[in-house]
Amino acid sequence: MPSLLRIATWPLMVKVPVLVAGLMVTVAFTISQVVLWRFAQDQESHLSVVTSAYLDGLSAAILPAIIRGDVWEVFDALDRGRRRYAGVEPRFVIVELPNGTVLAASDPLRFPVHSAVPEELRRQFPADGGLLIDAAAGRAWLARTLRTEGFSVGRLFAEIDIADLLSDRREILVTLVLVNGCLTLTFVLGGYVALKRMLQPLGVLTRYVEQIRDGRVDRIPEGYRSRVASEFGQLFDRFNSMARALSERQTLASQLAEQEKYAMLGRLASGMAHEVNNPLGGMLNAIDTIQAHGNDPAVLQTSLDFLKRGLAGIRNVARAALVTYKGSSDANLLTQSDLDDLPFLVQHETGARRLRLDWQNRISEPLAINGPAVRQITLNLLLNACAASPLGGHVTVTTSGSAGTLRIAVADQGPGLPEDMAALLDQGAPATAPSPGSKGLGLWMTGQLVHRLDGRADVEYPGVGTRVVVTLPFLLKEALDAAA
Amino acid sequence: MPHGHRDRHRFWTSRRAILCGFAGVVGASVTRANDEASFSFGLTPVFLDNNIPLLSLLQEYLSQQLDRPIVLVKRRTYREISMMLLSGQLDAAWICDFPYVQYQDRLTLLAVPLYKDRPLRQAYVIVNKGSKARIFDDIRGTVHAFSDPDSTSGYLVTCWLLALRGQTPAEFFQNSFFTYSHRNIIRAIGGGLGESGSVEGYIWDVMKEREPHLVDNTRIVFRSEWLGFPPVVALGASRDLPVTQALSAALLGMTSDRLGREILSLLALDGFTKASPDLYESTAEKWRLVKQQS
Repeated sequence: MPSLLRIATWPLMVKVPVLVAGLMVTVAFTISQVVLWRFAQDQESHLSVVTSAYLDGLSAAILPAIIRGDVWEVFDALDRGRRRYAGVEPRFVIVELPNGTVLAASDPLRFPVHSAVPEELRRQFPADGGLLIDAAAGRAWLARTLRTEGFSVGRLFAEIDIADLLSDRREILVTLVLVNGCLTLTFVLGGYVALKRMLQPLGVLTRYVEQIRDGRVDRIPEGYRSRVASEFGQLFDRFNSMARALSERQTLASQLAEQEKYAMLGRLASGMAHEVNNPLGGMLNAIDTIQAHGNDPAVLQTSLDFLKRGLAGIRNVARAALVTYKGSSDANLLTQSDLDDLPFLVQHETGARRLRLDWQNRISEPLAINGPAVRQITLNLLLNACAASPLGGHVTVTTSGSAGTLRIAVADQGPGLPEDMAALLDQGAPATAPSPGSKGLGLWMTGQLVHRLDGRADVEYPGVGTRVVVTLPFLLKEALDAAA
Repeated sequence: MPHGHRDRHRFWTSRRAILCGFAGVVGASVTRANDEASFSFGLTPVFLDNNIPLLSLLQEYLSQQLDRPIVLVKRRTYREISMMLLSGQLDAAWICDFPYVQYQDRLTLLAVPLYKDRPLRQAYVIVNKGSKARIFDDIRGTVHAFSDPDSTSGYLVTCWLLALRGQTPAEFFQNSFFTYSHRNIIRAIGGGLGESGSVEGYIWDVMKEREPHLVDNTRIVFRSEWLGFPPVVALGASRDLPVTQALSAALLGMTSDRLGREILSLLALDGFTKASPDLYESTAEKWRLVKQQS
């Protein structure tokens, strides 16, 4: 996952131990390198001293025999000296005469007497004498020119086995790796456990913040406060203060929303009064007509029809207001009729602005969802769309329910919902209400209701106007039966 | 191992004797005039003279038998011992039969060792066990190891074989060198320093039992006829001296003494016997032939 590759996004409980491990590995690697380098230096220095002493002893023992050309004495000295020098394990020693032939060697079968020293072997030895170490091969080569009274009487070549020295280095390396590895692992685990304990209060804080996202504003209990470090104690105090303020503000917002509801109802009521008043004049005229011409059956029938239509209109407006105010009888169901009377409520708005309302309610059967809340959401969006639309504009409301999802789309031809207003519909937005008197209280309430119903609201801008699409989940009949 | 245990026991019980033995060997560089009462006895590598416990036991035994301090004298070459004996710096010496036949007119035989109940031994020519040589002539062109220019088995016999072929060592061999010890010959050939070597058969046989890790790397390609064993000799002029006679008696009576038997056991010998100069006629003949050729 890409987010795993971004170290900045790693949790502290992982990041800190990884950082500790990285530091420990770096320190351990550096120290190991320094120790091994220093150890190798000491070994080589020691080897140089020991081999120099070895060559000194050997040279002193064989020099007279070389001068005499005494094969046996030279061989005997080489053979006896093979295991008598502590710290030096010669694989072979060759004594070469000035003419380039072998006088004697510790391994005469490989380097026979009077044979020539192989050129490729000679090249392995330092030309100017001294010590040459090949750690990869586990060998060291020594060469020394044997002189007497300033004249060279021969050369001495020795190949030394330094496998033991390299083995010591390997042992130290393994020890360093093991010790440092164990220390690193201990520190990492210790760091992880300690950090986990230290960050526990942060987990509590996160849990309570998450609750706020879900709409629950609870304060952190005092029991936690006494068990955490002072920094977290102060943080808890500040969170609790914030939670208290938020709770108060939310209460206030709820009250405001309630007031807004009533204010809206007031506005609706005045509109309704207008809608009721309009037919009243006609109805009174109809009564007058009946009184005057009631004997005429045709006139009577026409007047009564007129009265009936007028009263039906008044009844629809009154019923819609009543349902909005009191709520429907079954709060857990939404029927087609729960929404179908909304156009009556906004009749005044649409009438006054000469708006054309395209109402498409496709809900065919009752849906298991909070009906009053859905009704409130739809009404708010419809009122908002009416207010935003220009005179003579076109408002479209489409509702449909299928596959466990209720979809409500409200489109207008207004100038477009500003982003800050649209953000109030977002269920992920901060759960704080706009300040009283500011715009957007209706949208915020709608967003809260959508969030409470586990739905989502999307604001679209299809070129002209705004389309708000609310999707809300509802339980299917099978699930309801299973739950029952 | 019974041998090892016995040797160790002997070693610890004879520490003082060993120290005395070393002192005696070192003291040999001092002229006899400093200690007229002591008896100087020269030794050569005709036997396993690297066995320090053996030397100390020999010194102890002779000291008891001769009733005087014994100074064992060792030198690197046979010639040094021969010259010391001939010049009167030694009272007696165990030398090779080759120097004996060279100076037979001035020396007298005191005793001759018995090896497998006979005063005889053989000379061997050996090669490294990896060598392809099967007979003496196969070692032509090799690097040859001699023991000592005054050794019968370690030099004279091989020179005699070459003289029979009308050749000298320098012509027959690619190169040669001396090790001044039969034991070293076996080490040199076994280790590959030389490809062939002239060695005392008695030493090779004894070492095959006692140090098989050395001898097993060698193989015999020639065995000489039986030759007289290297004798214990003194100057002819001192033949009748009581101390010289006492030395002869001590050697001849070694089998009847517990310490003597121990020494013989370490030497892998059966005793000492009297012998006439005729015993070394075969050696003398070889010397004469080689001398004629050179």
